[in-house]
Amino acid sequence: MWPNRSVASRRRPQVQQQQMQLGRRKHKPDYWLLIWCATLLAIGLIVVYAISPALAITNNVSSNYYVGKQVIAIALSLVAFAVTAKVPLKTWRKAYKPLLIFAGLTTLLALALPVNPLYPAHRWVRLGSFSFQSVELVKFAGLIWIAGFLAERVHSGTIRSVGKTFRPLLIALMALGVVVAGVQSDLGSTGVLVVMMGTMAFVAGLPMGRIVLIVGVVLIGLVLTISATPYRRARLETFLHPASNCQGSGYQACQSLISVGSGGILGLGLGNSVQAYGYEPEAANDSIFAIYAEKFGFIGTMILIVIFGLFFTRLKSIAERLPDDFSRLLVIGVLAWFSTQALINIGGMIGLLPLKGITLPFISYGGTSVVFSAAAVGLAFQASQYTTYSSSRKNTPEDPDNQRRDFRDNTLRRASD
Amino acid sequence: MPDKSAFSQSVQRVRIWYVALLLVLIIFGIRLFYVQVIQHTHYESAALSDQFKQYQIPATRGLIEAYDSNKAVPIVLNQQLYTLYADPPLVQQPDKDAAKIASIIGGNASQYASQMRTKNTQYVVLAKKLSAQNSSQLLALKLPGVGTQGQDYRVYPDGSLASQLLGFVNDSGTGEYGLEQALNKELAGTPGQVKAVTDSNGVPLAATKGNIETQPVKGDNIVTSINLSMQTQMEQILKQEYQATKSQGLSAIIMNPNNGQIDAMANYPTYDPSDYQHVSNAALFENAAVTDDIEPGSSMKTLTTSAALDQGVIQPNQTFYDPAHWVIDGFNITDIEQDGGPREQSISSILSLSLNTGATWMLMQMGNPGGTQINQKGIDAWHNYMVNHFHLGQPTGIEQGYESGGYVPPDDPNGPAQGLTFANTAFGQGVQLTALQEGAALSSVINGGTYYQPTLVSKTISSNGKVTVNEPKALIKNTVKSNIGGELIPLMQNVVTTYLHEGFAFMNFPSNYMVGGKTGTAQIAQPGGGYYANLYNGTYIGFVGGNKPQYLIVVFNIKPNVPGYAGAYGGQPVFADLAHMLINNSFVSPKTN
Repeated sequence: MWPNRSVASRRRPQVQQQQMQLGRRKHKPDYWLLIWCATLLAIGLIVVYAISPALAITNNVSSNYYVGKQVIAIALSLVAFAVTAKVPLKTWRKAYKPLLIFAGLTTLLALALPVNPLYPAHRWVRLGSFSFQSVELVKFAGLIWIAGFLAERVHSGTIRSVGKTFRPLLIALMALGVVVAGVQSDLGSTGVLVVMMGTMAFVAGLPMGRIVLIVGVVLIGLVLTISATPYRRARLETFLHPASNCQGSGYQACQSLISVGSGGILGLGLGNSVQAYGYEPEAANDSIFAIYAEKFGFIGTMILIVIFGLFFTRLKSIAERLPDDFSRLLVIGVLAWFSTQALINIGGMIGLLPLKGITLPFISYGGTSVVFSAAAVGLAFQASQYTTYSSSRKNTPEDPDNQRRDFRDNTLRRASD
Repeated sequence: MPDKSAFSQSVQRVRIWYVALLLVLIIFGIRLFYVQVIQHTHYESAALSDQFKQYQIPATRGLIEAYDSNKAVPIVLNQQLYTLYADPPLVQQPDKDAAKIASIIGGNASQYASQMRTKNTQYVVLAKKLSAQNSSQLLALKLPGVGTQGQDYRVYPDGSLASQLLGFVNDSGTGEYGLEQALNKELAGTPGQVKAVTDSNGVPLAATKGNIETQPVKGDNIVTSINLSMQTQMEQILKQEYQATKSQGLSAIIMNPNNGQIDAMANYPTYDPSDYQHVSNAALFENAAVTDDIEPGSSMKTLTTSAALDQGVIQPNQTFYDPAHWVIDGFNITDIEQDGGPREQSISSILSLSLNTGATWMLMQMGNPGGTQINQKGIDAWHNYMVNHFHLGQPTGIEQGYESGGYVPPDDPNGPAQGLTFANTAFGQGVQLTALQEGAALSSVINGGTYYQPTLVSKTISSNGKVTVNEPKALIKNTVKSNIGGELIPLMQNVVTTYLHEGFAFMNFPSNYMVGGKTGTAQIAQPGGGYYANLYNGTYIGFVGGNKPQYLIVVFNIKPNVPGYAGAYGGQPVFADLAHMLINNSFVSPKTN
């Protein structure tokens, strides 16, 4: 039982009223969001299926191993999606504390448990054959907490306050920096989290000066982290001079560019990837974009970029039409999460950014990523039922319907009280 | 209540952010266009240079066999052993991995670890010659960046037996020295070819078109003419005599004078071919009996006598006046032991007393029968016999690496001291022969005039089972007339009996065998010119048989330290041991009448 539930129960008449309001204003959800999301999942599954024989040879497992695990992950992600789409947003908003605590405990567990020697960073919780990447839960819990936190500050008018808004955000950033970037050495996920938080704060109306300050702090942290760790220095060096060390630290960067570039305009064809046969490291996970590009060429990568673009556009149009701060911030957070993660991943593959060990949302093989991505989409999908039809009240200030649909004040603010 | 402007600012910021996102996506699209379309050719060739591999599948090397009684048995086999290597950039935990490796194959873990940290390489060899069991244990560890690679190694069931004539196979699979070098092409077979797009481990991908893959063809098995029992006993004898004569190197050959096949051939000291890497003196690799040419000394007189008999300028039973010394080109030619002074001598005593003056006299007869001067005609004739009849001054062509051709001085009418030079060659100085050259040349006299190319190969068995018998190859016919052997043989038998009567008891052979020979005590040229005062090589050439010579034996003993003539005390006892060994083992058929 959520601790807040008792509070809500005491205000039962009011809550009932809100629910009635919500129920009345609920409309058809945005199915396009699901269509693009399912398309991305299907593309990912097809690529994983196509390179399964190659992965099986390289990793000495049966040729259905990867596809099987991915199908199970997709099934689990449907469950996650159903849960997040059905359980009301305000329940999620209220549940930020247990979520954060759970994410924190999971991260502690990942730090405490012994690591797989092949992947020595403390990023995984492994229990038997089940393994779980703690940072995905951190992203999910952080998304809900920050959306609620900022919505409350907007409502109470303290969004510009240093003490109430700015300082807690900075503290959260620093905690993330120390744990995720420092101890787990997961600079990629840290980047996703920082951009997600920053975007939400930006959209919530944090003054530009503060945002510039945050960006400055993050940049300084980044420089310190990179200069303090030799392998990051090497990666940066590799990024700046990719061809110089193709046999050593630049191997993956070089192989990724080779995979992408050798695809040409039309690609080698679905079954004809060569790079998946042991050349491209992490061919099914972090490097799946490169393998996709090798198989489907420039045409294929353009199609994928466009699908991602359409998916992002759906999220954006949902966000801008949501009159309520919490749900808008939530959806913009989801958008920032996926887009940042996709850009960091693809940017690394095509040599525009240093390589980071993070997945390409929906496409990459990997259960945790798929399940939590689906959960986040579920939140956005639920929110899409409460959009207004015009994106800004400014255009129709006199519309009484708009007035009535503005349930920012009496619904979700109370939910976070 | 938040004002409307806050909401519109929020939506505006969503849009700003969204536009920025679209801009980045467009930049990504442009970059993809650049990488995939404009730079496509560059990356395609980069991909192929990684993926397209062209390599050889090594062929199994042929075996080498020898005769044990009448049955051919392998004396050189193959064994697949494994090389443990690491690809340092892929190694994740050098210290832990090294400890695991050391627990299986032993060795120094910290050394493995430091090797696995080698920079700028993708291949370091951690250990060699690991067993198949060790290899599979190591592979079961599934250490990233660590693997094993099978490689054929030569195995020698008879240890160092015949090592110098066999040679060895180096790390890159090429035969070095001996048979392995000379017959490398036949033994090696034809490697298979792979030209294919492969996975990162070099396994060709079935799906790709245009792959070329040919299977390797196993190398031929070589059945040598070596008799294992004879070879083994010869090597024991050489070792004993090497010590007994305080020799600095001892070589011997037992060959069939009637077809040129080598039955046994060895040198001492020798080496263990399975451990060739640890041999510090490369000279040990050489089969000195074919690679080292020396001035043979008086054993050469058998050839001089044959040439003179063949020209008809001397008769085997004639006598001649020996002045005990000749002055040729201002130099005195004397006998090594001056006993008796000037007197009548027989042809037989030229060999039995080893008369240098007699050999010189025979050269004089070649130019002018009855004369006592060396003339150009005689030099021409003798030079012709050495080079064109006895095949000296050029390699015999036996299947051995680094065979020496020896040295015959050029026949130059205007050269300085031609007379002296060729007078010297008549008794085996100033001319250089390998033991094999001398044996092959004298064989041609004894067998009735055919110079067979000496050979170690009895037959060749190809990978498809086809047997090719190595027929005797007559390089020169009529080196001497067919009756000359019959004239020379008693002269050489007389040498044996003479030594027996002088007290060399070991030269006593059963009467139903024919044994003949000739010693040679050869002066050794000093690098700066002239000869060493107290250093000699001892040589011996002889035969053993029943009704006719069945085996020809050559012994070269390098710088023995013996209390008499090197030939008689250094070469002769080795010959005697070998001849007795042949008789005692019934390798020789005794006289039938």
